[in-house]
Parts: sequence; C-alpha cells; structure tokens
Amino acid sequence: MGWYHLSLLFLVITACIFQQFTPTFQSLCDAGILLVPLVFLCSAVTVGAGPMLLLAFTAGFLWDAQHVITPLPAALLGNPEVYDNPGGDVKFGYSIVLYGLMGFFMQGLQPLFREGKWHVSALLAGIAVFLYLSAEYLCITFVRGDLILTHSLFLKISFTALLTMLLCPMVFWVLYRLAGLFHHTISYEGLARERNTAY
Amino acid sequence: MKPLNFIALVLFICGVTWVVTLSERSVRRIQQTYYATITPFLKGGSSIESHARTFLEEIEHSKDLENQLRAIEEEYIKLRSIEGRLRELETENAELRRALDFKEKSRLNVIAARVIKRQPATWWETAIIDKGQRDSIGAGVPVIAPGGLAGKVDIASEDTCSMILLTDERCQVSVQVAGTPEVGILHGTRGRYGEEPRLILRHLSREAAILPGMKVITTGKGGLFPSNLLIGTVKEYTPGPVEGVALVQPSVNFDELGVVFIIAQKNEPEG
Repeated sequence: MGWYHLSLLFLVITACIFQQFTPTFQSLCDAGILLVPLVFLCSAVTVGAGPMLLLAFTAGFLWDAQHVITPLPAALLGNPEVYDNPGGDVKFGYSIVLYGLMGFFMQGLQPLFREGKWHVSALLAGIAVFLYLSAEYLCITFVRGDLILTHSLFLKISFTALLTMLLCPMVFWVLYRLAGLFHHTISYEGLARERNTAY
Repeated sequence: MKPLNFIALVLFICGVTWVVTLSERSVRRIQQTYYATITPFLKGGSSIESHARTFLEEIEHSKDLENQLRAIEEEYIKLRSIEGRLRELETENAELRRALDFKEKSRLNVIAARVIKRQPATWWETAIIDKGQRDSIGAGVPVIAPGGLAGKVDIASEDTCSMILLTDERCQVSVQVAGTPEVGILHGTRGRYGEEPRLILRHLSREAAILPGMKVITTGKGGLFPSNLLIGTVKEYTPGPVEGVALVQPSVNFDELGVVFIIAQKNEPEG
C-alpha cells in the first residue's frame, strides 16, 4: 500500500463530498453524474485486486451511508393496524458488494489499460455504471416487490451512465497526475514501448 | 490467484458480512455521524449557491424587480385593509366559539427549516434540511411545505436532517378522500422519472365514488401524521377486483422545495 493508494482513498472521499453538489437533469429523466462510482471505477483499473477491494469497501460504505433508508425504530412506524406493511428496503452494505463486482469487471480489461488504451476503460466504465444502476434497481425491486420497468427508467439509467462516462477522461488525467506525483506506474507496457522507441 | 489477493478477498468478504449484519440502530448511528461530518460542506455549498443565485438574479432582473416591488406595494396596501377586516372577523369568531364552548383545536407548533440539498440519489426521494437534533427534531417527525404534507424526517443529526419526501415509495401516509368515507394508504411511485410526480392511493373500496379533482387529506390515524393536512387531488381512480387504486397529484411543488416546516412533537431522541 503506497501513497498512490492512499491518494485514491482520499479521492473517493472527495468525490463523495462533491457528489452532494452534482445536479440532476430533469429534461434527461432525472439523470445525473455519479462521481463516487466514476472515481472508483477509474481507480479500480489502475490498481491491483487488494487495493481495489479496499476502495470498493470505502466507496460502497460511504454510498450506503448517504443513500440507504434504514427502517425507523418500531416505535416510530405507526400503529401496525393502520400501517400494516411498512415495506422493506435494501440492506446497508449491499453497495459494497456491487462496487466489488464492478471493480473486478473493470479489472478484466486492465491489460488493455496498461498498454495505454484508457479509452477502452472509459467505455467500460460507462457500461459498468449502467450495469451498476440496473443491479441497484433490481435489488430494490426484489426487496420491495412489483417489478416496474418503464421507458423513463431505461432512459434515466442510460443518460446517467453516459454523463458519467463523459467525465472519465478527466478522472484518468487526475489519476495519471497522481501516479506521476507518487511514482506509481499504471501503464507498464505503454511505458516500455515508449522507452524502446526512444532507444 | 496470488496469496495476497486471496487474503484481501477474504478480508473483503469478512468486512461485507460485518456491515450487512449491523443492527438498524448501529446503521442509523453511522448515518447520523456521516451527515454530521458532511454538514459543514453542505451548509457551505448551499450558502455559496444561494449567494451566487441571488447575485445573478439581482443583475438579471433588477428592472423587473423594481416593477414587481411597485406592484407588491400596491397589493400590500390592499391586503392591509383586508387584513384589518379579517382581524375583526377573527375576534368575532373567537368570541362566538367561546360562547358555544368549543374546544379550541390545538394549533400545529412548527419549526421553519431550509432545504439545503435535494439528494442526488438515484432511486430515493430525499432532501437535507438545515435543522436537526439541536432544534429538538427527531426521526419520524412530519414535515409540511407550502401546499401541504411534504414528507417526514428520516435521520436527524446535530444540525441537519435527512427527510424522506412524500414522493418516495417508502413514505406511507394514512389518508382520506375528503367528502367521502374512503380511507387508504398513500405512497410515492417508482419507475417514473423526468415527469410530474404522482402518488398512489391504495386500499380503497372496489367501487368507491371517487372523482378526479377530489381533495386527499391525512386521517391522523396511525399516530404518524396529524389529521387534515392536505396531500393533493385525485387525478384518476381505477376500480379493481379486490380494491380500488387512485393516482393523486401532490399539492406540494417538490421541484421548488425551498422552505419547509417541521411539526414539533415529542419524539424519543435517537442513539
């Protein structure tokens, strides 16, 4: 675990704070930019499995702390004769698993990224966000019941994935800068090729 | 798989198991701590945002504002005269009530709060407001806005609260269709995005005499929300084989939720 990995942890926490100020676009079916998943997915491809899992744990934990609606204490659920079905929701911590899976998904094409083909990883990050959101919605549907699939739902997921993906180059640029700053090599083969050409 | 990666995976699985098996009480405490930590950023961001918006609006609409101010001044004078008449009527009404020995309705004791953030969450309809436990606000407390009921408090930290909006599927309210004996449970919808919010009212009679435009109000049953708070108007009623279902248009404009009022009531503090 080096300074680069610590800087990624810091970056995820910073993304969590900036996530508070990202807007949603009503004209695009309430789509928004998911900064935390974006930073995690881009970071995941630049590190090994161990640090990726640590990042997944941190990002998922923070994500759920922000979003998951935990059931109220029994005393605040109201009279059970009136509110006979308070309904459930996804468990705190489910995002950690989803982040972990998305991290492994991103690492599948790590060799290409290490060759310097970051645009393939950027495209993959968009697909990963799409899959992540779909999985999240299906988890909620599974717990609450009633499978509701609408056109606007599909558009919301697609636009969110697209908007998030558009910011990938910027995150990769930051990651390359951090890697340079902390002497961490994230594209071995690309560097090797560059060195060979130079000689 | 490398041994180090295997160890990392085992540790990850242990971590996930620990988090998933946390008690609801512990999770709420974690979320309270989380909100307490991000509060300074939220408040700072919200204040910068509102300053910037005010500044831009002032630049863009200074002429419009002048005209509006003049119109408002005229309106104000008119309203003052109406208010005087209303005060007289209020006094008269109070005297008549006393004379008839009416029990005075308990007025709602409310605390005003500002919405500092509509959550950028994907599937949950929530918002963060700038009042918390310091103002004796606890979880489950109803929140109203201009127009009617807006939701309830979910997590209360020291200075802020996270509230679940009425448009969220998890916010259930016992309601009645005004002017009819029909009562049911109302909640938000899932899967509708980028369009006007709709609420679903379930458990109605199979063939209830419900027409579009009828008002929907809280019953006060169940102990969560006070009675007679406006929720919205019926948009559509569908009779079913077992129960009737109505689509309700909320009376609160959730797109412009700026100031809300928390109904102060005793609640056990969390934690």
